[in-house]
Amino acid sequence: MSSNAPTSPARTFSLSDWLRHNAISLYPFIVIVVLVAAFGIQNPYFATFDNAMNIGRQSSVLLLVSLAGTMVIMIGSIDLSVGSIVTLAGIVAALALDPFGPLTAIAAGVGIGVLVGLINGAILVQLKVPSFLVTLGMLSVLSGIANMIAGGTSIMFMDFSLTDFVNATVLLGVPNIIVIALLAAAILTFVAFKTVLGRYLFAIGGGELVAANAGVPVQRYKLFAFMLSGGLCGLAGVVLTAQVGAGTPTAGANMLLDSIAAIVMGGTALSGGIGGPHRTILGVLVIAILSNGMDVVGVNSFTQEVVKGAVIILAVASTIDRKKYQFIK
Amino acid sequence: MSNSEQIALELDRVSKSYGPLVALRDASIRLKRHSVLGLVGENGAGKSTIISIVNGTRAPSAGTLKVNGTVAQFSSPAEAARLGIATVFQEQGLVPNLKVYENILLGREKQFSRLGVLNSDGMAAFATLVFDELGLQIDPRCRTGDLSFGQRQLVEIAKAFSLGHLYPVEPIVLLDEPTSALSDQETEILFASIRRWKEKASILFVSHHLSDVFEVCDDVVALKDGSVSGQWRIEDTDADRIHEAIVGRPKLAGYYKEAEQRLVPGAPVLVAEGITVAGELDDISFTLHEGEILGVAGVLGSGKTSLAAVLSGTKVPSSGSIRLHGEPLSFGNQAQAVARGIGTVPAERNSSGAIGVHSVEWNMALPSLHKLRHDKAPVLSAARSASMAQGWIERLGIRTPDRHVQIRNLSGGNAQKVVFAKWMERGVRVFVLDDPGRGLDVGAKEEIYALLRELAAQGVAILLVSDNLPELIGLSNRILTFRSGRITSEIATPPAAKPDEATVVRGMV
Repeated sequence: MSSNAPTSPARTFSLSDWLRHNAISLYPFIVIVVLVAAFGIQNPYFATFDNAMNIGRQSSVLLLVSLAGTMVIMIGSIDLSVGSIVTLAGIVAALALDPFGPLTAIAAGVGIGVLVGLINGAILVQLKVPSFLVTLGMLSVLSGIANMIAGGTSIMFMDFSLTDFVNATVLLGVPNIIVIALLAAAILTFVAFKTVLGRYLFAIGGGELVAANAGVPVQRYKLFAFMLSGGLCGLAGVVLTAQVGAGTPTAGANMLLDSIAAIVMGGTALSGGIGGPHRTILGVLVIAILSNGMDVVGVNSFTQEVVKGAVIILAVASTIDRKKYQFIK
Repeated sequence: MSNSEQIALELDRVSKSYGPLVALRDASIRLKRHSVLGLVGENGAGKSTIISIVNGTRAPSAGTLKVNGTVAQFSSPAEAARLGIATVFQEQGLVPNLKVYENILLGREKQFSRLGVLNSDGMAAFATLVFDELGLQIDPRCRTGDLSFGQRQLVEIAKAFSLGHLYPVEPIVLLDEPTSALSDQETEILFASIRRWKEKASILFVSHHLSDVFEVCDDVVALKDGSVSGQWRIEDTDADRIHEAIVGRPKLAGYYKEAEQRLVPGAPVLVAEGITVAGELDDISFTLHEGEILGVAGVLGSGKTSLAAVLSGTKVPSSGSIRLHGEPLSFGNQAQAVARGIGTVPAERNSSGAIGVHSVEWNMALPSLHKLRHDKAPVLSAARSASMAQGWIERLGIRTPDRHVQIRNLSGGNAQKVVFAKWMERGVRVFVLDDPGRGLDVGAKEEIYALLRELAAQGVAILLVSDNLPELIGLSNRILTFRSGRITSEIATPPAAKPDEATVVRGMV
């Protein structure tokens, strides 16, 4: 009908338009380049292969946890129990290593994560308790259980086969722990964009009612998202325990905030539906480079906390898509 | 100047644009003191824009606004309220869990508080005074949520009038489609009240029911595509002239494609028997045939939207049965409804029909992902998805820069076409449509109507729930009228002998 004139933008390509529309995707890249340049000028060691591997080793577990959180934030929910699952799974794995061996330890850690995810999801879906509250409660429950099991101290073990494996370098001098984390990121990115599961998770986050209307079994897929998150956190716990050579009851304590910051900085909206695991890699890199860089140039640890918090606020303030939020609460 | 004193509200060549979109163009409107000015037009014609400019929610891009002859510039509803301007919205602006008097004074408690502590007796007494003056029989101390919809509407109007007591001004009340959710009786009470109350106020009355306008207005302004297309004293005009000003051309016989209406419906597709939902639907039975458009008419709360919800699986009836192609359909299972070939186009497109932040392609693909996988692996095929989306964009003439554009950037008509494409790709044989033309302009509606005819011609069975009577009459093969959860009449509407609106309304009220 002629009465309804198209209001679509012109098709001609304009660099400034392109930059404006893609600023949010580019932002983490820009931050990374700026940080690398700044730290590299301060201390030439920063921009070396060895230090790059350091950054990778320091952030692999955070990447696994952030990927876990991404799968839940994609559906517009949140999993606050990620860090406490890491702790619990790490302790369970540490306890299982000596008596049962590495494979059982991995299975136990991942299994406990999946189980917690199942419980989180079931409470959300069946009892209709918001995920924020379910997982906030679960965070406390799991931390308590982890401490009870560990008796408040670290769990040591003699079987170092897993430790040797994660710290070994098989591929081009890259430690296995980094390969594991990047492999997980690659698989999840594939799942998110190339499978029905991934598309349904995006759809639930973008519009739960629309997804339900289109015949998506919304509740079942919410459960899947939490189980996926739990399983990944369980894996992260096993990897962390292997890396440090002990299971400690405070292992995952700081991971929640860092992972949410990484996810949001990467570009996955807290309201769900947009973003994805590939974006989270960039967010994790920003945090990892910032922490490592400040160590390398000798910033004291209290100042580091202040700077890190400020950078997160700034980064999120300049990247979030306010059109997606009806109310800023 | 005594002349200007008689004008309560004047818009002088007011324009408003949102980026490239012009919502209002050089609109000049005058509301005389102690009169009711009707404002009519299609959705998107600029009525809401005028309301939001007058009540201070949005600033005009150009032009001036005068209140009682003085140029007024305000940047918030609170500032507009000080000049006596109050809006009564179609979506009610009362907080249900507050007492009525608390709502009357919400945001204006200052005179009734000391150091932040509210004097509730004083507030209640004030509300009583306002109600007495307006002749309302409502207890200001009861909980607002306990009142009926119509009563709440009157409370909201009283709230607007109470401005005259709080500020030294005479109220200018903006009524935004006040009758759309009222029963006939409530509408009568409202109109009687407006006639009495206009002695004390000036009223801008936005409506899309021309009958309301003739009932209660002194003057009428018609808007089309953001411009004033007609302006009359009510006694100098008639419904046809106003209609022509609203749609920009005389009412055409072919608007609803009556010529394409199927004369003989096909085999039964969906048979509903004794559907009952406590308090909403009472023993509803009907049969929907292949290639038929079955209209469902009724006022708000008549059960017509509940019926759509039952068919789409969002509402579970307490008794009754539905058979689809002869096989029973279980209740409350949206996934099964879709799998069995029922596609729902909900009234709330933005929350239930389309995912605004997702692309045109993703929205179209959502119910059909199983078809868009590679042959040999459970992996989505980008190529299949792309050609699917491209195909529908071309076939339905969807105006979008490309298939990757987020659907929230599309116009309402084009977004609605994407929703239809989604179901056509799924190959549904039954469409449940709840007000499919809502929020669309005349041209976009016409395209959707043409699409419905095309679907019916292919044998798709369509249940059409709508508030728009001309649309229902024009499109349907039959109309069921609903009142208080029951079917009150079945009206045949063959293309050669379409019933008039009064016939349908008789079954609704």
